[in-house]
Amino acid sequence: MSVVELRQVVKRFGAVTAVAGLSFEVAEKQCVSLLGPSGCGKTTTLRMIAGFEAPSEGDILIGGKSMAGKRPYERNIGLVFQDYALFPHMTVEQNIAYGMRHRGVARTAIPGRTREALARVKLSGYEKRAPSQLSGGEQQRVALARALVTEPAVMLLDEPLSNLDAKLRQELRVELKEILTAAGTTTIIVTHDQEEAMSLAEHIILMNRGRVAQQGPPVELYAKPRSKFVAEFIGRSNWFEGRLSREASPGVWEYETTEGLRLLVPPPAGPVSGRYEVGVRPERIAVDRGAAPADASLSSRPNAVTGTVDYVENLGSDVHIWIHLTSGRRIRVVEKNVDQRLERAGAPIVARFAVSDCIVVAPEDESK
Amino acid sequence: MKRLGDDLAAVLFVALLLLTATFLILPVLTAMAMSFDARSYLGPFPPTGFSLRWYRSFLNNRGYLKGLQTSLVVATVASLVATVIGGAAAVCLDRYRFRGQQALSAFFLSPLVVPAVVMGFSLLMFFSLIGIYEGYPRLLGGHIIIALPYTIRTTLASLVGIRRSLVEAALSLGATERAAFWEITLPLARTGVIAGAIFAFALSLDDVAVSLFLADPFAFTLPVAIIGQMRATFDLTIAAVSAVLVLSTVLLILILDRVMGLDRVIGLGIYKA
Repeated sequence: MSVVELRQVVKRFGAVTAVAGLSFEVAEKQCVSLLGPSGCGKTTTLRMIAGFEAPSEGDILIGGKSMAGKRPYERNIGLVFQDYALFPHMTVEQNIAYGMRHRGVARTAIPGRTREALARVKLSGYEKRAPSQLSGGEQQRVALARALVTEPAVMLLDEPLSNLDAKLRQELRVELKEILTAAGTTTIIVTHDQEEAMSLAEHIILMNRGRVAQQGPPVELYAKPRSKFVAEFIGRSNWFEGRLSREASPGVWEYETTEGLRLLVPPPAGPVSGRYEVGVRPERIAVDRGAAPADASLSSRPNAVTGTVDYVENLGSDVHIWIHLTSGRRIRVVEKNVDQRLERAGAPIVARFAVSDCIVVAPEDESK
Repeated sequence: MKRLGDDLAAVLFVALLLLTATFLILPVLTAMAMSFDARSYLGPFPPTGFSLRWYRSFLNNRGYLKGLQTSLVVATVASLVATVIGGAAAVCLDRYRFRGQQALSAFFLSPLVVPAVVMGFSLLMFFSLIGIYEGYPRLLGGHIIIALPYTIRTTLASLVGIRRSLVEAALSLGATERAAFWEITLPLARTGVIAGAIFAFALSLDDVAVSLFLADPFAFTLPVAIIGQMRATFDLTIAAVSAVLVLSTVLLILILDRVMGLDRVIGLGIYKA
């Protein structure tokens, strides 16, 4: 049975529709991420699940029961706020005990459970500290312990790492994942950071303009995006515009770009019609150094395009090679920085990619 | 040359500051010094000898003592009532968004703008209209009204500074709205509430304009007693009484400073956070 279920939830603020008919389910012990750009409705959705906002339409169920009309304190939830929201006039210990006091935990059991909760987030001995004496990362862990200690049916995390600097964020991401896994709670994480979502969640609900753009396991969203929005929001791609000209062989279509390149691509979802865009992930492109051999074998290899090196960015672990294609378009290739002969600008180069690495999507409809 | 200009400006600025401070404190110091004068008449400054005769005279004067007593009672009750009413009003203004909220907020501060004399006269008329003729309730009512802007302002300023997520965190942890108010909101707004109460107390203790209209022969505050006495016999007892008033105010300010830092409180009271 799903722990959290949204049924056709709509939220309007005056004339603005923040959430437009959202449905999804979160299974027990699952870690789900609500991912999307700012203004996509993900935070509003979290606030509705928590009970700070009431849906305009639709229903939200927690543990199979409708939450309509239920106040936040009548829902069995644990919240971690973006700013942590630790009570500044209470010690760490009092902060953690707060939820237990209000959820009817026996007074005698509170000190022991507080100690356990602090140990769980590796902050033993911090009982008497004030929140103002803690670093950002420590505050975040106290907030996590405070929410976890009441053993809520679902943990709701609002941009849990966005207030930390980049390096700390990556370290704490791993720690957060470990703590949540150890606690074994059902979790919903709201974030605008695709890396965060991919690392923390086993299921991503990618939202755009109040709707689900696509949902599924992170790898699936990355490898099989169903729209350009999804492909662009999760990772980067090189894009071609053009049309599908014919089915070259079963399951492989010939694609003609507007500049006249011919590529072989997998079939699009749904019936074939009109214009398409084709994207290729920068790390799925291989390069052959040197000029293309002027023999026929090249044209027999699918998806090999010639060009010259525009610019090479050495970013330490990765090398980004910008290639100016003979057809006029510029693409980016990402390679691991292992072989270290870096191309000079102007050097001839051939870029190759597999048919299955092509992402075929209908062009974005901006009017929507 | 440029440097010289800047330096000169800095010197001028400090001089101006010192001058202002002197101007503020000198008259009070003069009065306090004179209150210890040994002469039996109002002689020129400086005092020729030290004595406590004017303090004795103060303590032997029934009018002053009665005035002091009334002042303390009125200031205590009025500041408490104003704190509760003002605090409640501030909570409403902070928490709920409604049409005319800005206007209402400004309206609550209007006693700051209306001249105290006008306020006193209007209140006198109003109280007789509704049939309240006794001095005590009139003084109380008047002082509550003039103290309200201060208690509302300081409480509101500290409420505005409380992050919304703190109350929401409490609710998510199982606290009811009421529990969250008593355990989170109020303790965090404490500074503003106490500052408002102390401002209200000091204001009530010092007020003359409103009290002059609302006092009657049986209920009058200490400042009103001073003014009455000044008309009858102008002697240095007034200096002694002034010293007592100043001392109690200073004491109050010291407590304020000790409890929460004076700069912060004054900032809260006057400027919007």
